[in-house]
Amino acid sequence: MSAWHYTLRDAKNALAHGFALLATAFGLFWLAWILWTTLHNGLAAIHPALFTQMTPPPGAAGGLRNALFGSVLMSLLGVLLGAPIGILAGTFLAEYARSSWLGGVVRFVNDILLSAPSIVLGLFVYTLVVARMGHFSALAGAISLAFIVLPVVVRTTDEMLRLVPAQMREAALSLGVPQWKVTAQVLYRAALPGIVTGILLALARISGETAPLLFTALNNQYWSTDLLAPMANVPVVIFQYAMSPYDDWHSLAWAGAFVLTLFVLLVGLAARAIVARHRISHD
Amino acid sequence: MTNLARNTGMNDTVYTSVATPHSPALAPVPKQKLSARGLGFWYGKQQAIRDVDLDIHERQVTALIGPSGCGKSTLLRTFNRIYALYPGQVARGEILLDGLDILTPDYPLALLRSKIGMVFQKPVPFPMTIFENVAYGIRHHERLSRADMQQRVEGALRQAALWDEVKDKLKQSALSLSGGQQQRLCIARAVALRPDVLLLDEPTSALDPISTSRVEQLIAELKRDYTIVIVTHNMQQAARVSDYTAFMYLGDLIEHGSTDIIFSNPIKQQTEDYITGRFG
Amino acid sequence: MHAASLVAPGVPARRDDIADRGFRWLVTGAAIFVLTALAGAAWSMFWDGRAAFAKFGLRFLWSQDWDPAAQQFGALVPIFGTAVTALIAVAIAVPVSFGIAMFLTEIAPRWMRGPVGAAIELLAAIPSIIYGMWGLFVLVPVLAEHVYPWVDAHMGQWPLVGALFAGPPLGLGMLTAGLVLAIMVVPFIASVMRDVFMTVPGRLKESSYALGSTRWEVVWDVVLPYTRSAVVGGIFLGLGRALGETMAVTFVLGNAHELSASLLMPGSSIAATIANEFAEADSAMYRSSLIALGFVLFLVTFVVLAAARLLLRQLEKREGRQ
Repeated sequence: MSAWHYTLRDAKNALAHGFALLATAFGLFWLAWILWTTLHNGLAAIHPALFTQMTPPPGAAGGLRNALFGSVLMSLLGVLLGAPIGILAGTFLAEYARSSWLGGVVRFVNDILLSAPSIVLGLFVYTLVVARMGHFSALAGAISLAFIVLPVVVRTTDEMLRLVPAQMREAALSLGVPQWKVTAQVLYRAALPGIVTGILLALARISGETAPLLFTALNNQYWSTDLLAPMANVPVVIFQYAMSPYDDWHSLAWAGAFVLTLFVLLVGLAARAIVARHRISHD
Repeated sequence: MTNLARNTGMNDTVYTSVATPHSPALAPVPKQKLSARGLGFWYGKQQAIRDVDLDIHERQVTALIGPSGCGKSTLLRTFNRIYALYPGQVARGEILLDGLDILTPDYPLALLRSKIGMVFQKPVPFPMTIFENVAYGIRHHERLSRADMQQRVEGALRQAALWDEVKDKLKQSALSLSGGQQQRLCIARAVALRPDVLLLDEPTSALDPISTSRVEQLIAELKRDYTIVIVTHNMQQAARVSDYTAFMYLGDLIEHGSTDIIFSNPIKQQTEDYITGRFG
Repeated sequence: MHAASLVAPGVPARRDDIADRGFRWLVTGAAIFVLTALAGAAWSMFWDGRAAFAKFGLRFLWSQDWDPAAQQFGALVPIFGTAVTALIAVAIAVPVSFGIAMFLTEIAPRWMRGPVGAAIELLAAIPSIIYGMWGLFVLVPVLAEHVYPWVDAHMGQWPLVGALFAGPPLGLGMLTAGLVLAIMVVPFIASVMRDVFMTVPGRLKESSYALGSTRWEVVWDVVLPYTRSAVVGGIFLGLGRALGETMAVTFVLGNAHELSASLLMPGSSIAATIANEFAEADSAMYRSSLIALGFVLFLVTFVVLAAARLLLRQLEKREGRQ
């Protein structure tokens, strides 16, 4: 082998190293820029009135109170509707269908749902609920969010339950306790941190979803607690205000973006903290 | 005096003129608590146990020994039908508990498992308090007042030689115990149901030597009240702890009888080869 | 000696059986609900879009019309925009993700791998509307002022492909949207690649190193072939994400219903069109056409995601066997 052959290989290696470094820097660069922008513009627009005043018409001062309330309400309702079904379906996959064909089909469909465009789910709930009812509503919004929560919780419940050692299952059953009680009293308790993490991740995800709400809850300029009427929410308000030509609306949009990002990151951190703490206590 | 004759304080020994393997005729024969008759077991298409006839004597310790894959754990797990959890695993033949066949679907699983308890290789405390761990099984079968429950839990923990170590921290999570303590907790959990039989599946293989010897001491005490079947890959443990030993190899029951005789004067060559460590 | 109060063992046992069966039905029902959710979504969009399909037939897919007043709708421009932006996104994201995965698994010192990996995953956690806002208010002006004039002046003059890069520097457009999508999609592809690279058995890599391979050669000749189908699966996953993304694209694509060869020009994507125009759709045919568009998107992403799933499954099976 001639010497230049090795030089060539070394050069390729160095190039690849450089590229990998560059790629990572590239990714981190955008992250930093986006977070910095959100922080910078958001902080400038934050004021206490954000939490006390309603969304204003253009040219007037205002806040995001109704939007914040609407987002919190619909997100919590979405979790309340979607998580229990998700936990049960995940239990089916882990406890009753580990290698059956039905389990395989459900897992496959669930994975598709998990990555499906949320606009599709929004349209689905539109045809299911909004078109039937004749008007947009917060309930429809919550339902569309529930459909996004569902596959996330199914997947994490399935995985967390499968991590519970088989011997724990057998130990409980060998006490003569029936299968359903073992699942409800022992297995869920053992898998609880993981399941809660899954729910938190689902919550973080739906908090930022705009598309499904566009077709279900739409928006509401005023304060509303009526589940059967359109309700304000942060993502749609951001969308509407950012696309408008008004500066004060832009500023409110950034404030909303900042609060939203902060919330999503905090929930994500909480989810990670649960996983880490659980892992330590079980080593 | 052989082990056979030692435990005849009860009224249920039977004198027989039939010579059983390894015991002289006319020696007292303890009652059969658990008997396998023509037992076969399949994992799907693969047969793991072939035509096993084995008697487990009441309030004695019977050890199942043999090399990896011989079927000893499989055999143990047929006794409480824990295999029923897994589709495709099938047992055929008879297993008589006090004369009744427990393999028939008529025999309720909950009743079976209240009479036959099991302790596993790896200590698996439930994610609950120590008290709750022990009370868990009892709660499902019986309705006890608070005082009665506390008495039962204490009794079980005492039987497992764990009471003194945990009596002040019953409300703490069971996961805070050491490995040896957790295993004794699992034993307490099993005896809390007051079963007749205890199945121990390699109960000390995940424990350190000190915990191991504590558990072995425990077994010697427990056999006063319970019939014990223990699977172990540690021959010395089998020799220390058991009254009877059954040697299995590749799904067949090669030889069984009193531990003294199996270990000093086995009949079959295979048994002797295994005992002397010629294969493992 | 055993539980004395088990007087009638049959009764509680039967109660347990009924409860067990009930619970089993409950969980099975929940699982079937998951199936009906997907089936329902597909069916409802097909059904509500049928008016448009009935009126325009298959021509819907390649018609450039978009005239709400005349009730003429065609999906070509949105489909084109969706495809182009997604392809740009994947074209940028795949090499970048590969570089990141290689960095995280082979090059970075151990203490760096956790934090940097977490930072990359943070990109995935940021809601897409934030990407949209940042794209519109920050990226677009920068591109319009500093980058695109250069692109138009230089790359726009190239023979053949020049037409792709020629055009007024609006800032909004398919290239911008593709870039934003790329950034969104990088964490998905990168984390799949990283997870998959880490499944390569150490001894396989070690034996290659022992023969004197450079790090790059180990990655290219050992790791990549070993994980090939899963890597493709990960790419499909990213593609599926890019095809269906709504908000990030809506802000920066421009919502123009004209087909143009230049990537610097605005266009429209299926998701962006639906998001922008649904609230103002004033006729049944308009709405039906938008829903029909949604059905097309659903079909395409279904195929892509199903393919991704199958490819990723192959690796999972191999892992299970080991």
